[in-house]
Amino acid sequence: MTTQRGALFQEKVSRLLSRQNGRPVIKPNKPLVLKDSVAYRKLKKKEATCITEISVMMACWKQNNFVDGRCSNEIKSFYTCIENAQADMKNAKAETRNHGVRLPPKQATTLLKRYPNLHYEI
Amino acid sequence: MSASFSGLLKPWTPRVFLVRWSRYNPYYLEPEVRKEAYSIPETELSAEEKEQRELKALRPIKAATSSITSSLFDDPDISKFINMMMKHGNKILAREIMTETLEDIKRKQVEKYHKAPTGKKENIECNPNTIFHRALENCKPVVGLASVKKGGRFYQVPIPLSDNRRRFLAMKWLITECRENKHRRTHMYEKLSQELLAASIDEGNVVKKKYELHKMAESNRAYAHYRWW
Repeated sequence: MTTQRGALFQEKVSRLLSRQNGRPVIKPNKPLVLKDSVAYRKLKKKEATCITEISVMMACWKQNNFVDGRCSNEIKSFYTCIENAQADMKNAKAETRNHGVRLPPKQATTLLKRYPNLHYEI
Repeated sequence: MSASFSGLLKPWTPRVFLVRWSRYNPYYLEPEVRKEAYSIPETELSAEEKEQRELKALRPIKAATSSITSSLFDDPDISKFINMMMKHGNKILAREIMTETLEDIKRKQVEKYHKAPTGKKENIECNPNTIFHRALENCKPVVGLASVKKGGRFYQVPIPLSDNRRRFLAMKWLITECRENKHRRTHMYEKLSQELLAASIDEGNVVKKKYELHKMAESNRAYAHYRWW
């Protein structure tokens, strides 16, 4: 199946370059060779965690004139929230390593670099 | 006469060899120095701790640094504070300053204790280590500010800090405060003991600095959404 796909792709490229059907669609200035790396996908921006805890704590601070002794409950809940958020982040990182069917771009690049395109004859 | 010269004729070998260096193979585990960790009976260990014990039996362990001991008086916070006070590797001087500080705190507290009426004697804390820890706790900030770029402008965003970062900030503030805001004739240990005693009762410049940071964070609370971690 992959050899079939490869052959179809080569035919498509030759059609795009040929002058027989009017003007060629592509005029490549560099040779049509694949790079040894894959483009890096930007991470989706996550949201800020524990915002409610922060706002509750700051409201408490404003009421009690920033004395920490009065707000000890809110501060403790803030710390627990942070610990939970950090544990969640660690678990999420371990999960995204599987990445479903596709390889993550960094791993794909390392793999390609180990078996690079040959650009010499020997 | 020949005995004194023969010592000089031998090739020189250093008396102290460096065993512990910082770049160990990550395979090595950290040593457990505290005696209490080994006196826990088998039954009271949780499953993770049992796994850790078994792992320690198989893996190589790093050499302990020369600054930690298994004695009662070894305190990781105080060791870290001494290291932060140290200049040009002069650990002896830094340790002397710390011991003088603790002694000074003890003297002041014992004086207060003897002068206090019998009703209030129990409230006075004489142990300088507990005063140090209390002062450190009172100096630690809860949230910090980070510079986040959004739409071409930099905003000061309130962020949660890790425990290590908070401890570091508290110690750094204490040391800079004692180095800069003192009369040129006062010794470091005097100024440090004054600051520590003030911080343990929530007074003094370091605690004031912490409150200013909290106020800045509170005034910038609207930008808390600019954080993405």
